[in-house]
Amino acid sequence: MFRLFKYLRPYWWQVAILLVATGGQVYATLQLPALMADIINNGIVPQNMDSVWKDGGLMLVLALVSAVASFVSSYFSAKIGAYFSRDLRAEVFTKILNFSLADTKNFSTASLITRTTNDVNQIQMIITMMLSILIRAPLFCIFGLVMAIQTAPEMSWIIVVGITAVVISVIIIMSLVGPKFKIFQKLIDKVTLITRENLTGLKVIRAFNNEELEHKKFTNTNNELTKLLIFIDRILELQNPLINIIFNGTTLLCSWIGLSLLSQNFAYLGNMTAFSEYVTFVMMSFLMLSLFFIMIPRANVSAGRINELLKTTEKIHFVKETRGIPEKRASVEFRNVGFSYTDAAEKVLDNISFKAIAGQTTAFIGSTGSGKSTLINLVPRFYEATSGEILIDGINIRDYSKEDLIRRIGLVPQRGVLFAGTVSSNIRFGAPNATEAEIKQAAEIAQAATFIEKLPGGYSAHIAQGGTNVSGGQKQRLSIARAICKKPDIFIFDDAFSALDMKTDAKLRKALKPITSDAVVLIVAQRVSTIKDADQIIVLNNGKMVGKGTHKELISNCKVYQSIVKSQLSDAEWRKETNGAK
Amino acid sequence: MGPNNHISNSGKARNTKFAIKEFLSSIRPYRFSILFSVLLSIGSATLGLFIPKILGDMTNIAVNTYPEIDWGQIGTKAIIVVVLFCSSAILNYGQAFILAVVSANYTKDLREKILTKISRLPISYFDKHKYGDTLSRMTNDIDVITTSMSQEIADITLSLTTLLGVMILMLTISVPLSLISFIVVPLSVIVVGKITNFAQKYFREQQATLGVLNSKIEEDYAGQIIIKSNSYEKAAIDSFNASNQKLAKAATRAQIFSSLSFPATHVFTNLGYIAICILGGAFVIDGRINIGNIQAFIQYVSRFNRPITEIAATTATIQSLLAASERIFEFLAEEEEEPDKEPSITIKDIRGEVEFHNVGFSYLPDTPVIRNLSIKVRPGMKVAIVGPTGAGKTTLINLLMRFYEPTSGYITIDGVPIHDMKRSDVRKLFGMVLQDTWLFNGSVYDNLRYGRADATMDDVIRAAKSSNVDHVIEVLPKTYRSEISEDSDNISAGEKQLITIARAMVANPPMMILDEATSNVDTRTEQLIQDSFEKLTHGRTSFVIAHRLSTIRNSDLILVMRDGAVVEQGNHEELLKANGFYAELYNSQFTT
Repeated sequence: MFRLFKYLRPYWWQVAILLVATGGQVYATLQLPALMADIINNGIVPQNMDSVWKDGGLMLVLALVSAVASFVSSYFSAKIGAYFSRDLRAEVFTKILNFSLADTKNFSTASLITRTTNDVNQIQMIITMMLSILIRAPLFCIFGLVMAIQTAPEMSWIIVVGITAVVISVIIIMSLVGPKFKIFQKLIDKVTLITRENLTGLKVIRAFNNEELEHKKFTNTNNELTKLLIFIDRILELQNPLINIIFNGTTLLCSWIGLSLLSQNFAYLGNMTAFSEYVTFVMMSFLMLSLFFIMIPRANVSAGRINELLKTTEKIHFVKETRGIPEKRASVEFRNVGFSYTDAAEKVLDNISFKAIAGQTTAFIGSTGSGKSTLINLVPRFYEATSGEILIDGINIRDYSKEDLIRRIGLVPQRGVLFAGTVSSNIRFGAPNATEAEIKQAAEIAQAATFIEKLPGGYSAHIAQGGTNVSGGQKQRLSIARAICKKPDIFIFDDAFSALDMKTDAKLRKALKPITSDAVVLIVAQRVSTIKDADQIIVLNNGKMVGKGTHKELISNCKVYQSIVKSQLSDAEWRKETNGAK
Repeated sequence: MGPNNHISNSGKARNTKFAIKEFLSSIRPYRFSILFSVLLSIGSATLGLFIPKILGDMTNIAVNTYPEIDWGQIGTKAIIVVVLFCSSAILNYGQAFILAVVSANYTKDLREKILTKISRLPISYFDKHKYGDTLSRMTNDIDVITTSMSQEIADITLSLTTLLGVMILMLTISVPLSLISFIVVPLSVIVVGKITNFAQKYFREQQATLGVLNSKIEEDYAGQIIIKSNSYEKAAIDSFNASNQKLAKAATRAQIFSSLSFPATHVFTNLGYIAICILGGAFVIDGRINIGNIQAFIQYVSRFNRPITEIAATTATIQSLLAASERIFEFLAEEEEEPDKEPSITIKDIRGEVEFHNVGFSYLPDTPVIRNLSIKVRPGMKVAIVGPTGAGKTTLINLLMRFYEPTSGYITIDGVPIHDMKRSDVRKLFGMVLQDTWLFNGSVYDNLRYGRADATMDDVIRAAKSSNVDHVIEVLPKTYRSEISEDSDNISAGEKQLITIARAMVANPPMMILDEATSNVDTRTEQLIQDSFEKLTHGRTSFVIAHRLSTIRNSDLILVMRDGAVVEQGNHEELLKANGFYAELYNSQFTT
């Protein structure tokens, strides 16, 4: 938690003003009871109206000072809190955006989102509270103690009694309830989980007639939760009455002792009233402080999660300027490339070598977990190859600047990802300067033009966050158009055609032909029909290359490829295929 | 909780009257407990009120008997004070406890009602409403109600009682001094009300900008790969910073205004306090009031402060309570599925003949999803349903399972109209394997016997073996007792589908429905799925929404759907010969 304080540094002078203002406010507020005691002792008792007016006037001035000071301090604590979290959030966001995919995978997207949103908000709340409570409460304590001891030194032991009682009661209650909160959170999560299951599994539950079973499951958890909640409340609700008893008891004690001291000094008549108010201030501050320290561990969880993020060092570094002169003709070459996640001993890719050149299509096929997607993610350096080297246009990818490398690549991922905006803004995403004609042309090649023109607004039709207002196939076609619009030297299609029906798939590949004549095309696919005509097919199995060649070659010499093809064709077609090969 | 829920929850209730009415009638069963706790709370506050007065009396006794202080009398008063604050605390605890129990039980009921409602709503409701929205009613809205109910009822009663009691006691001490203090009340209320209004406005603004920022974050993280592969980082960060700056501004404003009400009331109460000190001093000097009473009066004035700020703060909480209960009761008021017919018909020895008689279906009048559909499926037939997206394939299945009811025409099984049967009896006849492989959090064993609770471990293992998924389960850490869930990543999507096939096998229904997965299943697993599905449908009437040509070719009957109607039907060879829509679909696969 305290490591994050460095983000307060730019606001040091605002923090200073806040400190001064809070100090002023506390001082002024605490002078009021003293002045009131003065009114009783020097004004009312000796029947001196002038003194009453003088002290009254002073009180008025102090009240105004306190008001102004408290306005100033709330202004600055609000401002510092908001801007502190702005800086923190920006830092986290920038950091994550520059993460390599290995890092993102490590944390999981969902957790990254909570860290940037919920955790930062938690910390903002704590900081704002800190700025008011953590500054005010100790000031109240110290000033209050000084004032109390000044007004009635003989009674100061009462403060010790009061504070001890407050602190002990808070500690007892929290130690009883604290551990239960964790169980409580777990049960709440369970209720949410069952509800979510009932929503997502709606059809299955009804298809199996299991509404009753689900209901029973839910009722059990619900009852458990209710029982625990009542238990927690039974203890937690003790707090208020207990604190009330302590406060009232202390006030009574003050009166009693004050009155008994009356025979020594009649001034105790006014002093004991002031004193009991000071004691209340001091005890109140202690109560706030102890409640605050109970919240610290919770904030620490959030702070820890954010620190963990910020501590992650960037593993992939790019050179500032590209070194070397690239060959004219585009190409991608893998030389004995291997890859493994740092924490996993097993190799995800092992000793992969091939060369893909412009005008040719290189396809990758293999079962789930064979390493196809990882392989193509090495090209734009989303992951860093752990052994061997990858060359683009004859230059090692590590010698490219980030801009030069990325500019060459048009990537279409497995899941069509769109951003809130318009159809045009999505297609133009990688080529901000694309003309309208270029956008339209890209859409046409991607077989997206027909449905775009039917959308209300056509190319300026609104796309919702995550592209939820277009279908899966449409999303995929738009993300293909986005890659085409960029006019890259290297196209990478990561299983990008599977969401399309076979007819569209075929049409699209035909339309792609002319624009890819000068480009390297890398395709990851599930369907044999998609890659049948590729110039080079690479068959992967458990991270190893088990076959390289054309469809015809592989069908006669690669066992893994044969079994894949066989599973997708009927017997008759299979016979036709193998005969053709021979 | 999805970070996106912020926007929907911050607003006021749109239909306040509805929310209040529903809320009040739903807490009716608890009215006596609530009333009792209100009484306790009034009692507790009243007892507490006398304390300053008696403390003042103690001072008076001391001053009057000075220097021979009458400790006996003072001691009695002190004992009364102790009794008063102790019994006040006990009553306070009593009321808090009762309210805690009430609110815990009340929200338990609400949760129960929501879950029951989910199971009674027609499936079509969830086609139109997002799951997240319903889920947030169960979590966020219930949470708002739990916290505000136990807190607010107690706070309001306490505040009002204290305010009233303090006023009365002050009046008994001195009418003119009281009137001066009372001027503070309306002033504070007006100012705090205004500030709260502003604060809420800015708070909503803050929540809205936060919502925008959060969706931006979510979107950018989900699309990180696209941002990276298009060098879009700088633009993304710029756009983020702009929203972030807006949020910081809105948050500052919201924070300032919400923290302002305390100092604002403080100014007024301080002014009142000072006025009392000065005037009170003058009154004592004039002999119109004694010193103990002025001391008590001053204590009352400072007690006057808290309830005013609290009441002002409560109005904001009540607004969010109403908004939350509106969302909950709105959901509970949604129209439920029509109840089953009584008496219903049950089919004893099922043969498995399914017929659609001129069936039509539409969500909205004038836009039919299914049009005048008539098909006849003989017992044991394998039926493949093919056609482009949006042709109505899934709707047909949903009608068959009675997830939807046809808007015209009817469906029969073995000649019995399914609307004359119980829904549960219709569904019992079918095993369903969906594209969306839903598994719940629990052991593999529990998941597999989901369709038949009395299935033994042997039954389960047999089904797993015959659906080719046993090798997947065997390597899990606790094999069949391993916990799995929807988002388990040690099981692939294809293997999940195998598990759902095994689940259907355990249930052993007379007919089958399968929605084939379109993608993301590797070819080996794909083969296993086809193989086990082949076993599953053997000898059973089955319906397959098919994407694989091999499945289609092996079917007895292919229904080719387009725009809500069956445009062609027959087997593979017949349809190819007809050279129509089916032939076009089929041939597109092998043209490049």
